[in-house]
Amino acid sequence: MKIGVYFCNCGTNISDKVDSGQVGQKIEGIENVSYFKTLELMCSEEGKEFLHNDLIGEKPDRVVFAACSPREHENTFMRILSGADMNPYLMQMVNIREQVAWVTEDKDKATAKAANFIKGAIKRVSFHKPLEKKSIEMSPDVLIIGAGPAGLKAALTIAETGRKVTLVEKRPVVGGQPVLYEDVFPNLECAPCMLEPMLNEILHGEHAENIEILTMSEVIDLSGFYGNFIAKIRKSPRFVDKEQCIGCGECIGVCPVAVKNEFNNGLDDRKAISLSFAGGLPNVPFIDMKACLRAKVAAPSAEVAATPAENEDCRLCDQSCPLGEGIIKFDDEEEVIEKHMGAIIVAVGASLYDAGLIPGLGYGKIPDVYTAFEFERLLSSSGPTGGELKTRSGSTPESIAIIHCVGSLDSNHKEYCSGICCQYAFKFNLMIEHKLHDARVHHLYKELVYPGKEEYLLYKRAKENPNASFTRYSSIDTIGINSEDGRVRVKNTESGKEALIADMVVLCPAMVPTKGSGKLGELLDTTNDMFGFFEELHGRLDSARSKVRGIYLAGTCQSPMNIQQAITQGMAAAGYVLAGLVEGKKLDVEPITAAVDEDRCAGCRICMTVCPYKAIGFDMEKQKASVNEVLCLGCGTCVAACPAGAMSSNHFTNDAIYAEIEGVLA
Amino acid sequence: MNEDNVNRDNVPGCCNTGLESESEPELKFKFESEFEPKIVGFLCNWCSYAGADKAGGSQKSYPPNVNVIKVMCSGRVDPQFVLKAYAAGADGVLILACHPGDCHYKEGNYRALQRHRMLLRMLNQLGIGSERCRFDYVSAGEGDRFVKILTEMVDTIRTLGPINRPGLNNIDEYSSEKRSENGYSIIGS
Repeated sequence: MKIGVYFCNCGTNISDKVDSGQVGQKIEGIENVSYFKTLELMCSEEGKEFLHNDLIGEKPDRVVFAACSPREHENTFMRILSGADMNPYLMQMVNIREQVAWVTEDKDKATAKAANFIKGAIKRVSFHKPLEKKSIEMSPDVLIIGAGPAGLKAALTIAETGRKVTLVEKRPVVGGQPVLYEDVFPNLECAPCMLEPMLNEILHGEHAENIEILTMSEVIDLSGFYGNFIAKIRKSPRFVDKEQCIGCGECIGVCPVAVKNEFNNGLDDRKAISLSFAGGLPNVPFIDMKACLRAKVAAPSAEVAATPAENEDCRLCDQSCPLGEGIIKFDDEEEVIEKHMGAIIVAVGASLYDAGLIPGLGYGKIPDVYTAFEFERLLSSSGPTGGELKTRSGSTPESIAIIHCVGSLDSNHKEYCSGICCQYAFKFNLMIEHKLHDARVHHLYKELVYPGKEEYLLYKRAKENPNASFTRYSSIDTIGINSEDGRVRVKNTESGKEALIADMVVLCPAMVPTKGSGKLGELLDTTNDMFGFFEELHGRLDSARSKVRGIYLAGTCQSPMNIQQAITQGMAAAGYVLAGLVEGKKLDVEPITAAVDEDRCAGCRICMTVCPYKAIGFDMEKQKASVNEVLCLGCGTCVAACPAGAMSSNHFTNDAIYAEIEGVLA
Repeated sequence: MNEDNVNRDNVPGCCNTGLESESEPELKFKFESEFEPKIVGFLCNWCSYAGADKAGGSQKSYPPNVNVIKVMCSGRVDPQFVLKAYAAGADGVLILACHPGDCHYKEGNYRALQRHRMLLRMLNQLGIGSERCRFDYVSAGEGDRFVKILTEMVDTIRTLGPINRPGLNNIDEYSSEKRSENGYSIIGS
């Protein structure tokens, strides 16, 4: 083996302290070292040209560059090797500038230290093996789970570049939570008006053909890895032809069955065939087969009592359809489809902390205690009261109490601030003022927050409401809510003041992960943070990436956030997809990964437990570990952990490191 | 860790306290004046190696006794590397990692910490002494901290003196090339 050593004086940066002549003498006679050459400035154009020609002339098997930090020029010299038809991994850089010349006062000591470092590199480099970057085909298509603002924005952004997107939404409608609101903070913009152009763009716009929307659908299985995921998606039957239906709603009026309307948080009823809410898109009704009279006979179950025979062939909706037969499809069936895609964006949103867990608030027991979601629907013109503010008994409220920080900032509940509740509470304040001019609005809060350039103004306007009061409480446990004479009594047990008498109470609970997000995380193999939200790769640098390569996060499934932030994160996730997963490009796989020696592997799976990237799989048949080179980032933790010495780390093999240890100490 | 794999007969220093010199102050003084500690420093690529470069960039002088070996992650530092370093003549070993929560590979520094804790017990059993292996955190910006830790380590080893190593190099039988030939390891992880 022929090893060539190049020494860079780096102008005088290195030569001031390290004498190349003496270094040359110190390494003389080391096995395999064929030559030692000193250059003035190796990274200069002349230096690079010299190296290029010299490597071609000398044809060394391995090369050592003693110069600056590899963090500065390792790539430069790797490229020079490639240019000279050598494998770029057959070299080792020695940092004799940052870690020797610049930090050692005594010249002799610096020279001796540099020689030690170089000896280590010479010993090590003979163990280097040629490594090749592999590349694999990848699918440019994208799966987006969740059609709220974040998922929609991501879908639209990706579709605009001509790429195919599959948008999976659990509900029958797209738009997420904000489409259910009347106005959004901070400037009380009409929410449906704000979202409608985007929804239309998604459904009928120029790039709509690139987006496949699967409503009433769920991802039920995922396999593969970045560039090549395969997802199984379960499509629940809608029983109405989505392509042909014109959304006239004739069928809904004739349906004889009424059930609680979950889109209005159960505050009113809907029919068994129903639109989610007025204006919900796609504008196609769905049949709730659990409620439909036909299904009770067709699919009898323990919960469903025997039904009178005359109901079994109810076809009222079908008969009422102005388009004729075939639009209502009673025989529509559940379908499981498989999709192949390169990347996934998770945008499943969040929900509210269960206010029932704080019994003193009376939620679920006192009829006029509402959560913020429910109150949004009461304010909405498409809601159960058509936007009229009324108590359950039908009277117009004279006084409304808004409780901030429910379950937030509290070690017994959720130890964080959701950041949006104060804003929508101030929005409620103004909307109440607009609707009921004289109603009192009492804010009870633990903390008030209004960061951002527009948010304070909303607070200021809420403060200026002459009927508003703001009272601070120290702990949610000090708030006692009871009903009294048909009204609601809100008492702060800490204060000596009289209890507030209200007609409605609005609770602003902490934002929490949706119920299904834990299960979804499990099947995607992503991790959760301490609060159960999808965990980001890095809280500041990479909040739109999960810890699984190729799975990105957008919106409130990652952290409580407002619509602006969710939309921005949707764009960020789309940016990652578009930058990393380029159509026609193959996926480069870095060669510095772990590798398994199957003969030695005993199948103990310790490596799998320490791998931070789930890059190690297990071959059940062979009972051996296997490394996924796409997912492995080459940290080497598994190599240090393997008790059998079956794991090795490309380029950082035990042999190479042992040799370097021997070399630097020789 | 399976200690049964350690053949104590072949691990010199095992029954040696290694601290005999401390009972003879004069000898110790002699060591201190002439002794130049040899230290191997395992630095992770992302934080501590960058921290060492930072110290270089700001041209802070420090003792030249530490020979740096770069690994991608402190989690790659196999306890056998540390033993190998002592066997090959090192008087001390430094393992520097990213700060908790900052690991480029998420949790490699925690693994390194766990292995270091385990190693310290073993070093005492071997008579090498746990003071000779220090684990610490240096971020990419902490050039000053790198210099401080390194200087402290050199001082510590200078005070301890060289490892009492009659025939310690026999440990080679259990590592490096021999290890792969023999097909066993002296420590599991």
